[in-house]
Amino acid sequence: MTHIHVITSDNRGLYEDGIQQFYRLRHQIFVEERGWTDLSHSNGLEIDAYDNEHAVYLLAIDAGRVVGGQRLYPTLLPHMISDVFPHLVQRNIPQAADVLEWTRYFVVKERRTGRTDCRLLAAMQEYCLENGISEVTAVVEMWWLPRWQQTGFKVRPLGLPQIIEGQPCIAAAVEISTASLEHVRKLAGLRGPSLIRHVRPSPSHPGMPHVAA
Amino acid sequence: MSHSSFDYATEAFDFIGRLEALSSVPDVMDEMAKSFALFGFENFIITGLPNLKERFDQVVLLKKWPLGWFDIYAKEDYVRVDPVIRLCRNTVQPFEWSEAPFDRDREPRAAEVMDRATDFRMRDGFCLPIHGINGYEACFSMSGVDLDLSSRTKPALHLMAMYAFERARQLLNPLPCRGAGLLTPREREALMWAAAGKSAADTGDILGITERTVTAHIVSACQKLEATNKTQAVARAMQYKLIQA
Repeated sequence: MTHIHVITSDNRGLYEDGIQQFYRLRHQIFVEERGWTDLSHSNGLEIDAYDNEHAVYLLAIDAGRVVGGQRLYPTLLPHMISDVFPHLVQRNIPQAADVLEWTRYFVVKERRTGRTDCRLLAAMQEYCLENGISEVTAVVEMWWLPRWQQTGFKVRPLGLPQIIEGQPCIAAAVEISTASLEHVRKLAGLRGPSLIRHVRPSPSHPGMPHVAA
Repeated sequence: MSHSSFDYATEAFDFIGRLEALSSVPDVMDEMAKSFALFGFENFIITGLPNLKERFDQVVLLKKWPLGWFDIYAKEDYVRVDPVIRLCRNTVQPFEWSEAPFDRDREPRAAEVMDRATDFRMRDGFCLPIHGINGYEACFSMSGVDLDLSSRTKPALHLMAMYAFERARQLLNPLPCRGAGLLTPREREALMWAAAGKSAADTGDILGITERTVTAHIVSACQKLEATNKTQAVARAMQYKLIQA
């Protein structure tokens, strides 16, 4: 059974293997499959400047195997749209405490016909709602927009599409709402909350029972 | 006209804003007709792409087509030979009609549909394929005789067409009950064996998976088909031609 795990700097120690898998899959998918050669690295891991303590990862994990993932990052910090793609935004770049940037979204090849996609999208809405986020910004290939819209996402364009790596891409903001969450949950076959948050026992509480690693 | 790319962006954003405020299909069509006319477009159609068992007229969502052309197109079943439709199924990028390839000698019917369209002032066109979820395929195709298609107008048209499609889809909601992609191959298989009278345990043995997994596929198919039990799911899947008896 696939579950979506929330990984932040607080519990990252529990997911070293999952994060490594995520980096390797990103290389396989974005560099080798999609051809974003700028991100290529000889160690086969795709890691960028935004993989730091501010990043939140929502990873789909099935029996220890990462089958999909995505990253959320604060827009108040320099982020991908402000650093790399400001020319995709016609007006102001949305930057606020309740706006996150949504990047590195993928589903592994063999899961693309199933519901992993909708589960990851539901996880994104669920995490953001729980954390008081009002919208996420993203750069996306144009042909994905109808897919988001059909899963019940409300998408606001931030500029006109432009060609990136041979594909028309657009910067867009996706509204976070219970309506969107409900809609995508139905498509994902979910009846309620689905995020898994493992909390690392804090070493400062000696009373906590030991957990076998 | 001396439009800068900023003007086109504003044009596109305003169009999207206006679409959102409109709630009736005729109003949306008027807005589309007005806005796309600025680029020289006289006709447009928003349609799903029919599977082998569907007729063209069953999947059309919206159309502003010349009188007479729709009847000819439907009667001749041109949707099966139209090179624009063919390219639509095979690309995710928008394209000009002139970019849709066909062999004039070996595909006389493809040549015929393109030639006859010009009789209705549908000489050049711009087409946006839509590849949605659950296998839903559609397109927004628009045409005219004197189009303003350039590297500066196309990004705006691309975005406007996508939002026009989405508004039409929301208002007309064509998604439920269609598309073979609604069910996964495993869900279809599980239902096919159920239709053949097999229990979940039998089906599990046949497919080499556990009974529990078979049941999970059936439950999932029931949810997607909004069926209350396996019997109704089988009936609906057959009715929608997702499985064959």
